[in-house]
Amino acid sequence: MSTPVARSVPAAIRSVLARDRWALAGTVTVVVIGLVAIFANVLTAIEGHDPYTYDATALDPNTGLPAGSFGGVSAEHWFGVEPLTGRDLFAIVVHGARTSFLIGLLATLVSIGLGVLVGAAAGYLGGWIDRVITWSADVFLGFPYLVFMIALGAVVPAEFPRALLLIVVIGFFGWPSTARIVRAQVLTLKERNFVKAARVLGASPWQVFRTELLPNLWGPVLVMATLSVPGKIGLEAALSFLGVGVLPPTPSWGRSISAAIDWVSVDPAYLFFPGLALFAVTWGFNALGDGLRDALDPRSVTRR
Amino acid sequence: MPGKKLLAVVLIGALGVSACGANDQKPSDAAAAKPDKGGTLRILSESRTINFDPAKSQSLAITTLGLVHRRLTGWQNAVGQPAKVVPDLGDTGKTTDGGKTWTFVLQEGLKFSDGTPITSADVKWGVERSFAPAFGGGLGYHKDLLGGADYKGPFEGKELDSIETPDAKTITFKLTRPYGDWPWIASTPAFAPVPKGKGAEADYQEHAIASGPYQIATYSKGVEVKLSRNPNWDGSKDQVRAGLPDDVVIQLGQDASVVSQRLAADSGDDQSAFGASFTSPAQLAQLQANASAKSRVVTSKSGAIAYLALNTQKAPLNNPKVRQAFQYAVNKSAYQIASAGTAALAGDAATTLITQGIEGREQFDLYPSKPEGDPEKAKALLAEAGFANGLDGLSLVLNKSNNQTEKAEAIQAALARANIKVNIRSLEADAFETETNLSDNPTYDLTLSSWQPDFPSANANIQPLFATSEIGKGGYNISRYSNPEVDRLIEEAQSTVDATEAGKKWAAIDKRILEDSPVVPLIYTRNSFIHGSKVGNFFIADFPAYPNYLQVGITK
Repeated sequence: MSTPVARSVPAAIRSVLARDRWALAGTVTVVVIGLVAIFANVLTAIEGHDPYTYDATALDPNTGLPAGSFGGVSAEHWFGVEPLTGRDLFAIVVHGARTSFLIGLLATLVSIGLGVLVGAAAGYLGGWIDRVITWSADVFLGFPYLVFMIALGAVVPAEFPRALLLIVVIGFFGWPSTARIVRAQVLTLKERNFVKAARVLGASPWQVFRTELLPNLWGPVLVMATLSVPGKIGLEAALSFLGVGVLPPTPSWGRSISAAIDWVSVDPAYLFFPGLALFAVTWGFNALGDGLRDALDPRSVTRR
Repeated sequence: MPGKKLLAVVLIGALGVSACGANDQKPSDAAAAKPDKGGTLRILSESRTINFDPAKSQSLAITTLGLVHRRLTGWQNAVGQPAKVVPDLGDTGKTTDGGKTWTFVLQEGLKFSDGTPITSADVKWGVERSFAPAFGGGLGYHKDLLGGADYKGPFEGKELDSIETPDAKTITFKLTRPYGDWPWIASTPAFAPVPKGKGAEADYQEHAIASGPYQIATYSKGVEVKLSRNPNWDGSKDQVRAGLPDDVVIQLGQDASVVSQRLAADSGDDQSAFGASFTSPAQLAQLQANASAKSRVVTSKSGAIAYLALNTQKAPLNNPKVRQAFQYAVNKSAYQIASAGTAALAGDAATTLITQGIEGREQFDLYPSKPEGDPEKAKALLAEAGFANGLDGLSLVLNKSNNQTEKAEAIQAALARANIKVNIRSLEADAFETETNLSDNPTYDLTLSSWQPDFPSANANIQPLFATSEIGKGGYNISRYSNPEVDRLIEEAQSTVDATEAGKKWAAIDKRILEDSPVVPLIYTRNSFIHGSKVGNFFIADFPAYPNYLQVGITK
């Protein structure tokens, strides 16, 4: 049986960035927004606003809309202000990037970690463990998890940190797709001689997993992780959009987009900036993930 | 009932109260044209159902329910005049013993839509029906006063002894204590007649027998209700209903922003329609740019009091000093903007519990500060109370269906200026009601609510929100305020029959309660409604802050 030859991961990344313009653009986008999230406080300090302070003077006294054109965009307020509150939209979007990255990346970590462990166990150990895991994965894939999350968001006490809840819940429901792919990989890997050799020499399953399987799983896992980050960020935004995500006043793109929809005909800028940010970050991760997949998986046709 | 009231007000709004002149109270162009008899009036409602069962209804006397059912007494309201209680089925009641026994005499020749005469026994049956557990949920001001604590309704074969009907035209109520506002209570939905012996079925609301100008022609849940003329209604015997349109169609389950756009566009059937829901800030901002639509927006002069309720039974808000700090910490100006975009559309900042336009109301401000509040003074009061570092982790619960997130965030941001940190918790309507109205030991510290009195008396402003008897068990005393002195004063004022004298007593109670600071009055909420260009006589009087559905007609 022929298995694709895995390239070393850093080499693959280097080659994809050198050859694939889209992947490069995606990487730059992700890095820039990531830096914005990390340095959110510095950026808002330079601009001179925070995402929490109400400012009625930035609003049109006749309507409650932002004063000035295109949502009040000015040297003072780079992205304009929110209608009805006068809070600075740049500060909200920048701090919202923190929420999105934090929840998106950590939830991905949870789901990939869980998926790799469970998938490798199913593939390597086989037998009833494999059957139970495969069956559970099918159930979880068909589970109406959005409804479940909404219900959970409503019953969990307010004292419980909301970001942690979102990370755990979003991360937990992400394991089945990772587990399936990892299981398939492990099924082929365990028939190969280096794995068989390790087993014959008496290595425990955990040792085999760490030293023989994991190094050969990095490629597909990295692709999956990159491609699933935008989904997780989108899910956080969706939950916040539905009012069960992070609690106000913590900025969140999803909540801003939800509020902005009512205002789109009179204040399109309010929808534009958080919407653009969400679009950019999901597109960036997708472009990067696609490029990595092309580079790491010789079976797929590479875009040039 | 406060909490409920708010919900009820919102629902009623959705069901079809509508329209008052714009903020300046000038009648809009369409309202100036005199409507004629005839035509089809359309009401666009967000609700999925409309309740035409009087026992289960909390509807005001001038909205949807009033199109189908008459009541013992009715309301007459007009722009610039206080609302008056006027005869409807009966006269406005007489008492000979200082307000404990009230006798009403019905008009001659009244008929139900099925042609049978309306008698005092039918009114009595309607009131008795409201005591049946299966038909609960309606306004219940009469229940305690009629001594019906153990009465379970007429379907178990028992009558309510406190109501007597010596002949077909006369009905006498023997109350447990003197009550000056009884003629107003007789205008609440339970005093609509239900033919004696009928109305036992749970879906009575879908085919209720009418006494008003319209009867229910078709009722499709979630889609629409069609009302057609009641041939047995005699306009000359009804001074509160104009009954102008031939048909009324209530479209259900409409999205509020779509309604607003449709009415702004003003095409086809929508010209003879009005929206039953409040117009939201985003919609108002949009309508400002459209001169035709702007002229068809009608805004009430005043309305329900919006307030921040402080849970007076839970530390640290059980300390009056801490509660007083909240009076200074809030930013009423930001709240106005969050409610409607501008102070003019949102309504005046509130400092009293009795709402504008209510007899006897006195304007006062126990905690004067700027419209933006005075966080420094709030901090000082908190320090005096032993909280020099402010308060942390207070929980503000919201009813999701009331769309209050923006308003709550404005409160949250304002309190943060005084080092009061608040977590907002949004609950579904049922969970919210369980927490605020039903729970014996709730965990919230703060909640936002608003209260439109059910009848224009200070009694209906104060008693449901601040009497000890209204804590929990479905009552609306959501600040859980209990003060024996206030309870005694309320009972005293309620038993006063002379309106002027009663008004003075209520104003004194208003002040007395606010000294304890169980709630922070925020604004007297203006409601805005939009109507099509052919809808005439669409006005919002001084009370209540809803259009008078009973007077609306279609212009040719």
